[in-house]
Amino acid sequence: MEEMIGRGRDAIEMIVDQNSFQEHTIESYSFDPEFGPGSVVGTATLNGRLVTVIANDAEAFNPRFPVVFAGVIGLEEGYKMATAVYRTIEADRDKELSEKRPIILIVDTPGNGPGKVEEIIGMNKSTGAYQLALAEARKAGHPIVAIVIGRAISGAFLCHGLQADHILSLSKDFGTMIHVMPITSISRITKLDIERLEELAEENPVFAAGVNFFYRLGGVQEIIENLEDMRTVIDKHVSEIYEIKAKGEYEKLGPWGRGLLGAERGGRISRKTVIDKMANEFAAVKSKYLNA
Amino acid sequence: MRSWEDIQAGSFFEANARERAFGIVDKNTFTELLNPRDRQASPHLPVLGEAIGFDDGIVTGVGLIGKRPIFVVSQEGRFIGGAVGEVGGAKMVATLKLALQTYEEVKKQYPDSYQDRLPAVVISFETGGVRLHEANAGLLAHAEVMDLFQDARHKIPVISVIGSKVGAFGGMGFVAGAADVVIMSEQGRMGLTGPEVIEQEVGKDEFDASNKALVYRTTGGKHKYILNDCNFLVKDQVGAFRKQLTEVLEQPFEQIEQYRRIGSMELVQEQIELVDTAAKLEPKDAMDIWKYFGNEEPAKLPELSVEQFLKVAKRRPRKN
Repeated sequence: MEEMIGRGRDAIEMIVDQNSFQEHTIESYSFDPEFGPGSVVGTATLNGRLVTVIANDAEAFNPRFPVVFAGVIGLEEGYKMATAVYRTIEADRDKELSEKRPIILIVDTPGNGPGKVEEIIGMNKSTGAYQLALAEARKAGHPIVAIVIGRAISGAFLCHGLQADHILSLSKDFGTMIHVMPITSISRITKLDIERLEELAEENPVFAAGVNFFYRLGGVQEIIENLEDMRTVIDKHVSEIYEIKAKGEYEKLGPWGRGLLGAERGGRISRKTVIDKMANEFAAVKSKYLNA
Repeated sequence: MRSWEDIQAGSFFEANARERAFGIVDKNTFTELLNPRDRQASPHLPVLGEAIGFDDGIVTGVGLIGKRPIFVVSQEGRFIGGAVGEVGGAKMVATLKLALQTYEEVKKQYPDSYQDRLPAVVISFETGGVRLHEANAGLLAHAEVMDLFQDARHKIPVISVIGSKVGAFGGMGFVAGAADVVIMSEQGRMGLTGPEVIEQEVGKDEFDASNKALVYRTTGGKHKYILNDCNFLVKDQVGAFRKQLTEVLEQPFEQIEQYRRIGSMELVQEQIELVDTAAKLEPKDAMDIWKYFGNEEPAKLPELSVEQFLKVAKRRPRKN
């Protein structure tokens, strides 16, 4: 099986229309090509439709922030990705809902920049800024589709992926990894052996690493089995998302939508119980707080 | 539980999550939602041989400050380090959702005076982020919280309060930073990657996680205050946090939104300038940044009391 790990730039070419990708450009805005080399941003067309593309570049190294290599999202990278999203919102600000261009997130990242300078300056803001930008774009009507082609690890996946409307993933046969920690680390912490953990994971998808477990939790909408299908499946989801947004059913999409999907697929049951119970308990005391 | 007055006078750091929730709002106004008697524990922990907590390490509820409903989330570091799983994550999500629904109802019920009754969300952080025993569900919950933070924009203020032992790290580090206002004590810490992980990644020579002074200089309240990542630094006392929170809430919402550090193109631009500064300065220690922003004797700052520190500390200048 042809793996896509470390091949974010190849994935862009496989997904968008041939020779349509213009890196460093969103509408009239041009990015400094030296800034945030660990992430790739630009504009392309997908089936003739204008899209913003945001990906990781596993081959790039950031000389100013040396923790950035192998697809790590560093201080510059997070803000560059956020800027790409805000420029996209700006470019389509006055357009109809059906004209808001999609944003395609190609996900292959092992983590957020870990380091002393990163903590001094506040890496939490860089990754947070990107997430808020994506949430704003999603709520403004831009369809956002993420596709996991390689590694989607913990905080980096939260940053680059988990704010999308729909998340797609290549199947595990491509070596895709979605997790917070590998099962070996979970084994060390829980002091249970790996075989036992793997058994348990079959019944309960909440802790073990893997695309299929995220699927059952509603974290992945659809799994893609063939590389040739990436283009068409992404395009299909873009169309679906446009339709859902046209009806104003935003709660079916994004993180909240994944919560509903997780319950539907039986992977996340407690979430709904908690939300319902709290709503009921609040209803009983509400007037005291509304009419103080 | 101690009386409201005792809690006010006492340390925020030493208080537990329930005391912090009870004490951060007006006297005897706090109602806990999904309290331990509901026994809504994590169904995932027993499977992995871990003890459960009937509140899953997180206290949620509603209180009042004046006429304003204050929706409170308070994390408990003594339970599995305050890590967030499916139940705890859903409790945070539900609290935010209720605050947003209350906003709509208040607006409808008091069309002319709803500003005085505007709900707010207050989150006291004490967590390293995702709970590994239920990591996938915890991760997905983090994304929901960020999504609801964005829903709250321009509607109701969201305020982070950090004064606990564990601080706000991992995914909850960026949740904390994404609020409208951040209030910290000197003991509070905020970051993404915890000290042990940095040491593991960059080596003990560059970052010694056992060096407490270094850890506080890098992520503690005073540093974040100089950087303007924390808006208000208060002394380690529940009453001091409550007083600061009350003062913030007395301001018009437009003004409260000015405290944000991220959340718009302009703010991102401002942060990029800070990153450019770091690239040029190549700080070896947070003190290099303090000096850059005009603190001539940075080594003295950690020793000062909060009162003295607030008088002399120079901060990163903000635009506007």
